[in-house]
Amino acid sequence: MLEASDLMVFYENMLALNNINIRCAQGQIVGVFGANSAGKSTLMYTLSGIMRDIQKKEQMAGGERITILGDVLYQGENISRLKPSQRARKGIVLCPERRRIFSESSVLENLKIGGYLASPAQARKTLRYVFDIFPALEKLKKRVGGFLSGGEQQMLAIGRAIMAQPKLLLLDEPLMGLSPLMQAMLMRATREIRDRMDISIIVTEQYARPVFPIVDYAFILENGAAVMEGTREELMDNPDVRSAYFGVEESHA
Amino acid sequence: MQILIYGTINSISLALFAIGFAMVYGVSRLPNFAHGALYVLSGFITWSFLNAVGMNYLLSIVLSMLATGIIGALIYQFVLIRVRGMEISEIMASYALGLAILEGLRWRGFRGMTYTLPSFIEGSTEIAGVSVDYQRLLVVGIGAAVVALLWLFTHYTRIGLALRGMAQDERAAMMLGIDSDRMAVVAMGFGSMLAALAAVVLLPLGNIVVEAGYNVLILAIAVCIVGGLGSWVGAVLAAFLIGFAQILTVVYLGAHYQMVVALLAIILTLILKPSGLFGQQKELEERV
Repeated sequence: MLEASDLMVFYENMLALNNINIRCAQGQIVGVFGANSAGKSTLMYTLSGIMRDIQKKEQMAGGERITILGDVLYQGENISRLKPSQRARKGIVLCPERRRIFSESSVLENLKIGGYLASPAQARKTLRYVFDIFPALEKLKKRVGGFLSGGEQQMLAIGRAIMAQPKLLLLDEPLMGLSPLMQAMLMRATREIRDRMDISIIVTEQYARPVFPIVDYAFILENGAAVMEGTREELMDNPDVRSAYFGVEESHA
Repeated sequence: MQILIYGTINSISLALFAIGFAMVYGVSRLPNFAHGALYVLSGFITWSFLNAVGMNYLLSIVLSMLATGIIGALIYQFVLIRVRGMEISEIMASYALGLAILEGLRWRGFRGMTYTLPSFIEGSTEIAGVSVDYQRLLVVGIGAAVVALLWLFTHYTRIGLALRGMAQDERAAMMLGIDSDRMAVVAMGFGSMLAALAAVVLLPLGNIVVEAGYNVLILAIAVCIVGGLGSWVGAVLAAFLIGFAQILTVVYLGAHYQMVVALLAIILTLILKPSGLFGQQKELEERV
């Protein structure tokens, strides 16, 4: 489905992504875990093409010089030069960090704007599905986006992203700042979306614990480099991973 | 009564001047300082189609609006896109283009009092004892229709919704497949067409003169600053505020002071509430 090879991103001389190779097979949920500034968001921006836009804007304004190296192969095609809107058209949709809800539009309008790429029939069907998995949104559909709680905003952000008919959904820190109950609900919903819409999902998060139950495969980023990867079982058995990302101290027996 | 009627007419004229400017700014954060020039240009294009080519009036209007829309889109596509996101450069580039258009027109001999567009309907009527000509009533009707149609367009059509998404968060819109460069061109085209529409509706009330370009620009900016840059609701409200203030000044202080009202409104707004009546995006962002 997606295969990124030798990704490197520099902000001036600072290395943000260091030679990252990452894959996501059709129908998989892939987790990417790492601390703050490990490069999770940079990776998501690079996969979705937003990095190209940031690079262009910085260049025009004479700001930071950003260098992007490496290839992103998606369904066998090299998309690393495409604009974000072109990638979205091909099915790569990013649900960004901090949600970025359209705060002056109502919930329903947010979802309708999300359906820009969908045909009217698809949009209607997906809208019903969104209200199906997130019933809370249906009750709030007239509410203005800026006045939603964090959890509601996150549901809306995910709903808006799936309105765009993704084949590969990128979720950047969807659980940030949410209660454990909300986190569990969102992860169940994420798995259900994958099953029901038959799509692939890459999800990044700082803490692996709430996300781990739903991932098939995971990568661990440190300082911009992928230091470890493996299936859920492989990583679960690794003591370093357990202590660093699950907060589980090994017993001193 | 006179104040009420002429205040309303004046306010709606201001709203017509400003709505195109507000739309372009709202969608692509581009202060289009060529707005007034496009307004005058479309007046002269209509005049040329009508008198030099000898076309039917309605056809000239439609063609002139289309031509102005295309000119606006081309200006964006070939000039402004290169300075995108740098406010000062955007202002200078668009103002320079506006100057070039206006002074170019003057240089080509479009000056003096000879250029006028005919009214759509001649004659006048009396409302509550005040005589109002039909053209001014038409301004009110068309102004209200434009505001209503624009509202429907931005709330119920795919392109309109995409424009609003872009206005709120350009990058989030991109992630959903909205091509921001193309949408900005579309917005500029629409904005220019709205300037042209304002021109063909309002110019029959007077002469077409190059100087109007500067006045229209100042008024449009005043309305948008008072209303809060980027807010269309704010712009319409501000148009009424300034519109009535202007008429009241004319009645009680004299016509000389009319232009001062707009400038004073800009200064007062910047001192008291720099974000304008409805420029609340920043406050909302901070909530999140």
